[in-house]
Amino acid sequence: MRQDRVHVRLLIIASVGFLWMSAVLGRLTYLQLFRHGDYLARALRQQQRSFEITPERGPIYDRNGRPLAMSVPVDSAFGVPSEIADESLAARLLSGVVGVPQEVLEARFESSRSFAWISRKLPPEKAEAISKLNLKGIYLQKENQRFYPKRDLAAHVLGFVDLDEKGLMGIEREFDSQIRGKSERIVVMADARQRWFDGGEAQRERGASVVLTLDEKIQYTAERELAAAIAKTRAAAGTVIVMNPNTGEILALANWPKFNPNKASDAPAETWMNRAVSAIYEPGSTFKLITIAAAFDQGITRPDEVFDCENGAVYISGHRIRDHKPFGLLPVSDILAKSSNIGAIKIGLRLGAPRFYDYIRAFGFGTPTGVELPYESRGRVEVLNDWKPFSVGAISMGQEIGVTPVQLITAVSAIANGGLLYKPRVVAELRRGEKVLPASGLLAPAEPKRVIRPETAATLRQLMEGVVLRGTGPLARLDGWTSAGKTGSAQKMDPNTKRYSPTDLIASFTGFAPINNPAVTILVSLDSPVGLHEGGEVAAPVFKRIAEQVLTYLNVPRDVPLNPKLIQTAYMKRASQDDTALQDFSAIDFSGQPDPAPAASQSTGPVAGETAKSKKRALTVAVDEGGDIELPDFSGKTMREVTEIALRLGLDPVLVGSNLATEQSPAAGAKVRRGARITVQFGTPLEKKSKQRLGIRN
Amino acid sequence: MVRKRKKAATAEFHTVKRIDNSRLVRNVEPAKMRNLWRGVALGGVVAAFLMLYVFQHFRCIDLSFQLEDLKAQQMKAMALNSELKLEIAGLRNPMRIDVIARRRLGLTEPLPTHVQEYEAPDGAEVAAARYVRANRAQ
Repeated sequence: MRQDRVHVRLLIIASVGFLWMSAVLGRLTYLQLFRHGDYLARALRQQQRSFEITPERGPIYDRNGRPLAMSVPVDSAFGVPSEIADESLAARLLSGVVGVPQEVLEARFESSRSFAWISRKLPPEKAEAISKLNLKGIYLQKENQRFYPKRDLAAHVLGFVDLDEKGLMGIEREFDSQIRGKSERIVVMADARQRWFDGGEAQRERGASVVLTLDEKIQYTAERELAAAIAKTRAAAGTVIVMNPNTGEILALANWPKFNPNKASDAPAETWMNRAVSAIYEPGSTFKLITIAAAFDQGITRPDEVFDCENGAVYISGHRIRDHKPFGLLPVSDILAKSSNIGAIKIGLRLGAPRFYDYIRAFGFGTPTGVELPYESRGRVEVLNDWKPFSVGAISMGQEIGVTPVQLITAVSAIANGGLLYKPRVVAELRRGEKVLPASGLLAPAEPKRVIRPETAATLRQLMEGVVLRGTGPLARLDGWTSAGKTGSAQKMDPNTKRYSPTDLIASFTGFAPINNPAVTILVSLDSPVGLHEGGEVAAPVFKRIAEQVLTYLNVPRDVPLNPKLIQTAYMKRASQDDTALQDFSAIDFSGQPDPAPAASQSTGPVAGETAKSKKRALTVAVDEGGDIELPDFSGKTMREVTEIALRLGLDPVLVGSNLATEQSPAAGAKVRRGARITVQFGTPLEKKSKQRLGIRN
Repeated sequence: MVRKRKKAATAEFHTVKRIDNSRLVRNVEPAKMRNLWRGVALGGVVAAFLMLYVFQHFRCIDLSFQLEDLKAQQMKAMALNSELKLEIAGLRNPMRIDVIARRRLGLTEPLPTHVQEYEAPDGAEVAAARYVRANRAQ
């Protein structure tokens, strides 16, 4: 009896245990087999965080490796609404930090349960404030932000990006796919306290860095001088381009008005326009270079051939053409120097439309140059069949044709370098780390195209020097270097009357220096200057200021002696007008540039409260009277003789060509320093004679 | 009051039965012992592997945390590096230098005659570097 009761009790316990085990097993079976997927997904949602890692956008450097654009990681705040306990409270607290209205944040939290941006690309102090709030479901994520540390320097070349780091203008747009790199999504695990572990290693492909042909210092010089010229002339807009004529590399490209790419959205959209490549204008007299180059190259005229310029007015195809002042008989060299429209038209008419058209196209007008910048215009050149009877005449003096500044400087560079048309370049190379990426597409190397014979180019260079020495551009004459160029004062078309405006002009000057071995070609264009408005009056001085600074910076040897009297006079004038000296720079907008801290200035600069104006400037100046070696005339000498003389004088001779010396740079009589490099060109005496016959000076 | 009747005492006898097992001999079975030790060893190995696995697992998680911490530090250092590079680039802005030179120091552009090129004697760079360092140290 007793044993039976024990058995019953054991049976009950066993049954209960069995049922309990069965229940547990059943539940486990249910969870593992039927709800496995659901719970796995839920667990992953809790434990995993997935992030898209945006690669760092490649920096943009100038030709010397100075950064012009770079990306820096900054924090962006986002929320996971499903994890936020009190959305209203969180929105209120966050609103106070980031400045986004509470209602907006609440709406964002309600729109998605898994992700909502709170504020992107926050300043460090705001990111820290959010972090200190320690709100559940609110996170910070690193994103890259583009910065342009030099502010508006080269803004039109660099362009800018949008909030998602997509290039919108300039190099940022043109090379967006290369600079951007490839983004990747990584998954990290988080524990109960939301500490991350087991993060995947993202193999991010960093964007390529871009090395420009621009030189930061030359760019700054160009922008500063352009800004000063704009302030002085009250022009509506302006462009300066500095190019190496021997390679087509653009060393500086400046436009006015300009903008700060760090705050591009704050600037009017018109300021974003890169006028150097997008703006079409009638080149005016500067285009006479192309007319005369074509005529010389075809051998239909000579520099000393005289044309009748009809005393300032002539009717051609029913149009009355006037010169800016009456000229009678002028040789071709003076037609260019004094910029006679009638003379240029007569040369153009003699050349004829088909040949003229071929040269215009050969110089690259009417087609994009291929410079690596977006929105490049092709200019405006009517096809030959659409030319009217007067078109040859009009185009000969730079009307009825539209060019871009970059087209014009490319063509003038071809004249400067001896007749080779280089594709203008603004990008030197693309790099990934230390590795230079293969040049392809836009960067594919292009062979220069010969557009005129070297003799034509040499003749034209001499004629262009005449413009500076005795023509319309004396203000472009440099101290210490020879220079050549052409002025232009093109009337603008009035959109209302559809006629040329008598008051609105585009004043320009395009030239190069030194003449024999040009180091830089410079184009200056000012749109609608007020008051003085001729190219020779307003653009040529800008050329001079830029050229002198750039040639000094590039360490280009001087090829003419300095004029100490002129310089001393200029210095005394400048020293006596401190205000003027400071005003030279006042045209530039420094509103975005804070002055240095007073403490810093006290330690390094004048005493506090003492301004530069009140400080008496030291007048101790060592005036250079020129070099100590006067260059002999090498013409007619053999290579051996030239080498011997040069070495005896302690000079570094560079001999080009063969036979007898025909040209030299610097010119005979110029004073140079010991060890200076001189270039001597050799050729046949016949060539020399023919050049002399054409009036080319050595 | 009812008095309890005293129970009669039961006589208890203590007997000692001596069993002599000295004559019994326990036979040791080597096969069983081998199996036993094999089992123990196997169990030990399994337990060791299990312990090692568990240790590795938790060590892995621990190292993951450390790795993430280091990655975060690396990111911070890289961000700081980028910020400093940006700051340097900003400080080298030609416009900024120009403003300081003209407004604070009262400098003006050099005339063409002010710019003289001289051939640097040997070691000029070293001397310049030393000069800069000496000034920085002050």
